[in-house]
Amino acid sequence: MTRGYHDIGGKEAGTIPMVELPWLHWEKQVEAVRNLLGDGTRRMLSLDEMRRGFESFGEDKYKALSFYRRRLEAMIDILVEKDVICREELENEIASVRARWETGYKT
Amino acid sequence: MSNDDDEHDHDHHEPLVVEDEQGNIEGQIVINALQNLLVERNLIAPGEVRREIEKIESPGVHLGAKIVARAWVDNAYKARLLADGKSAAAELGIGVGEAQLIVVENSEKLHNLICCTLCSCYPRSILGQPPSWYISKAYRARAVREPRAVLSEFDLHIPDDVQLIVHDSNADMRYLVLPARPAGTEFVSEQRLAELVTRDCMIGAAVVELKAAS
Amino acid sequence: MKPRFDTGDKVMVLELGKSGHIRVPFYVRGHVGTVIHRCGVFLNPEDLAVGNVAGPVVPLYRVGFWMNQLWPDYDGNALDMLYVEIYDHWLAMVDKSAVAA
Repeated sequence: MTRGYHDIGGKEAGTIPMVELPWLHWEKQVEAVRNLLGDGTRRMLSLDEMRRGFESFGEDKYKALSFYRRRLEAMIDILVEKDVICREELENEIASVRARWETGYKT
Repeated sequence: MSNDDDEHDHDHHEPLVVEDEQGNIEGQIVINALQNLLVERNLIAPGEVRREIEKIESPGVHLGAKIVARAWVDNAYKARLLADGKSAAAELGIGVGEAQLIVVENSEKLHNLICCTLCSCYPRSILGQPPSWYISKAYRARAVREPRAVLSEFDLHIPDDVQLIVHDSNADMRYLVLPARPAGTEFVSEQRLAELVTRDCMIGAAVVELKAAS
Repeated sequence: MKPRFDTGDKVMVLELGKSGHIRVPFYVRGHVGTVIHRCGVFLNPEDLAVGNVAGPVVPLYRVGFWMNQLWPDYDGNALDMLYVEIYDHWLAMVDKSAVAA
């Protein structure tokens, strides 16, 4: 039987981390973009496609990423797979955004 | 990115992965870059993203509490809620985005607990975002296997003679626990009743208590 | 697609040996439970995960399992249960319910 690394019901685990974390703007933005791309007019990125995305990372990457970072990276993988964007142009845009960020322009 | 707990050698103890400041900045940069490309391609508009963020920010515990309080004071409503949660929520002006809402009722003999072992399914269109513990490995792994031990970590001790049902929301249904109404609230107003209902009561990790009132 | 199972039917969760996006948790595969509720029909997430929205739709059921049958070392109330949602094609009939749904 195959078992995805995300399929953890019944596995051994430690105590429940009783933390309350804030929901940050970038995290809301990830959800919002996913919702829009998955809506009735676009239909480009369903929840199940996004889940397949993070179920395909490999265990190390899945375990290393935070919850919303996982969703963001899964979205990127699926959009690249579908030729909506390509990785190189995304890397270039990330570099531009980072450069502007460092000079104070946060877009 | 940092971990909020000490690293252990044991594979099964995995701390919750939480972004540190650098990780959050990185997340913001990447989503901004992705959004810029999508806008350039006319696939989304900046105004749409803003509106969608407002939309996902608006649900919260208050909506679930409103449903619970109404079910407590109106038996006919409760029956409709247990039969078809989505339609009953709509009666109160609460739109449920998910396929269906299943409301499970706690009683003296039965306690319900909700989890999602595969990812993080939760009735977000009513309650907003799930708590971080709900999406932790520890909760997802252990709630289906040793729910009573899990609940004792929440300081909730279910008596041995009470039946426990754990619901793994692994597919299209979403779940809300209708907690038991505390004794002594016969003359409390519906609005005041709603104020007693906390998020964790609607997941099944807590029960409604009178002394929790502010 | 007509649902093959009714409330009260005893069913076994199959191990279909599929790879890809699966929504049947590992811990219930091979176990026998009882159909609690018919949830309706939905597009199969296994298809949706690869962008296939053509269908067909598949009936979905909530199936209840005894905790002490899922976990040999379970030490709660003997009546404790686990309810999970399972799609029709992952189930096989073990015992038809005597009571009509």
